[in-house]
Amino acid sequence: MDKAETEAIREVLTGNRDAYRVLMDRYFRSVFRVAFRITGNEADAEEAAQEAFLRAYNKLPGFRQDSAFSTWITRIAMNTAINLVERRNRDLSYHAPRIADEPSADESTVPVADACTGPEGILLDSEAASLRRAAMATLTPMERTAFTLRHMEDLPIAEIAAALNVPANSAKQAIFRAVGKLRRSLAPLAGGVQ
Amino acid sequence: MNHFTEEELIAYQLHESSDEQPIRRHLETCSECASISDSIAETLRVFSAGPVPEPDLDRNWQRLRGNLSVLAPEPRRRWMHFWTHILAWPAAGFAAAALVLLAFIGIYAHKATKPNYAINGHGPLTTQPADPNIANHLDAAERLLTEVNNASGPLDNVTREQAHTLLLTNAVYVRQARSSGDLAEASVLEDLGRVLTTLDNEPPTPESAWHLRFEMNTNGLLLDIRILRQNDTPTHTQQ
Repeated sequence: MDKAETEAIREVLTGNRDAYRVLMDRYFRSVFRVAFRITGNEADAEEAAQEAFLRAYNKLPGFRQDSAFSTWITRIAMNTAINLVERRNRDLSYHAPRIADEPSADESTVPVADACTGPEGILLDSEAASLRRAAMATLTPMERTAFTLRHMEDLPIAEIAAALNVPANSAKQAIFRAVGKLRRSLAPLAGGVQ
Repeated sequence: MNHFTEEELIAYQLHESSDEQPIRRHLETCSECASISDSIAETLRVFSAGPVPEPDLDRNWQRLRGNLSVLAPEPRRRWMHFWTHILAWPAAGFAAAALVLLAFIGIYAHKATKPNYAINGHGPLTTQPADPNIANHLDAAERLLTEVNNASGPLDNVTREQAHTLLLTNAVYVRQARSSGDLAEASVLEDLGRVLTTLDNEPPTPESAWHLRFEMNTNGLLLDIRILRQNDTPTHTQQ
């Protein structure tokens, strides 16, 4: 941790709330990015990032400064985002897209894609995007987090495992399960799983 | 031909496999595995990283700042928290804690001046012979238990009366042993009391299960009584 961060934390702990802005300016983007990968939408990512910074602020008196603030806040953000996804899954399960012969905005249904069309073309249109979102929704929060952080953010498995507080092998298995599920979800587009 | 599993092929596509070379060679010759591997690669491509929107830092800071309290370093807070709790204790709670502490000190001081030995352990049960009448009581109890142990069928009235009398005197000796701090002796006498209670209250029927319970309860008790009696006889030489 560099001197500016240490100084900012020291100031915060002596009652200067505005000193926290230094840490926020440095890490809010990366925290938001991780949260966006996990939650999948901007509004939830912002909510999770805000909550993570608020939690970190309240825990700052107990923060051991021998570890990096960036690692710590990222870990808090991951957990916050996962919790938010779990909450959303419970709250919004009625509104998840469902498969139907004809798409209907009122009933939140999407059609199964035509197997004769190439996957490239299908994924370009909105129906395919809905299907892609639906495929991601089949993942558990842990699978989604592990997969997106490994595949999209290129984070090492050890770091993901530490953030999720699971053994490295569990994080790896979560990623493998996620890819397997997503592949099967895309099967209608590609003409079936081989 | 041995094929690779989906998991192994996923690991390969994610560059997490320790068998990259063998898998690569296999994929060159196995169309089945190659097809699955291609499907995995396509999945990863479809779900590749999309753009991430740029958050509004100022707006987020303004929202966050409104929720920030004024902080102080933890050690000081904990110290104050501790004293706040101490001072907030109700007087009754504090007095109770003080009493418990005094009782503990009292027991500890008593134990420190009077060594206590475990039942059936090495060395004597007591180091000071108690009331000589206890030796007689223990002697009578031992005889009764031995007699009952070797009997069969329901208890006769004489044995019952004897058990009842011993039960009453036993209660006195239990209290005496407790008050003198001889916990080992009190413990043996309490066990004896439970057995005597069984004998005193058991219905006089041949079907009663007192024998079984008696055998269970006297397991080791007779030996304890003999040791205790040995220690409590007036002729016992203190070691």
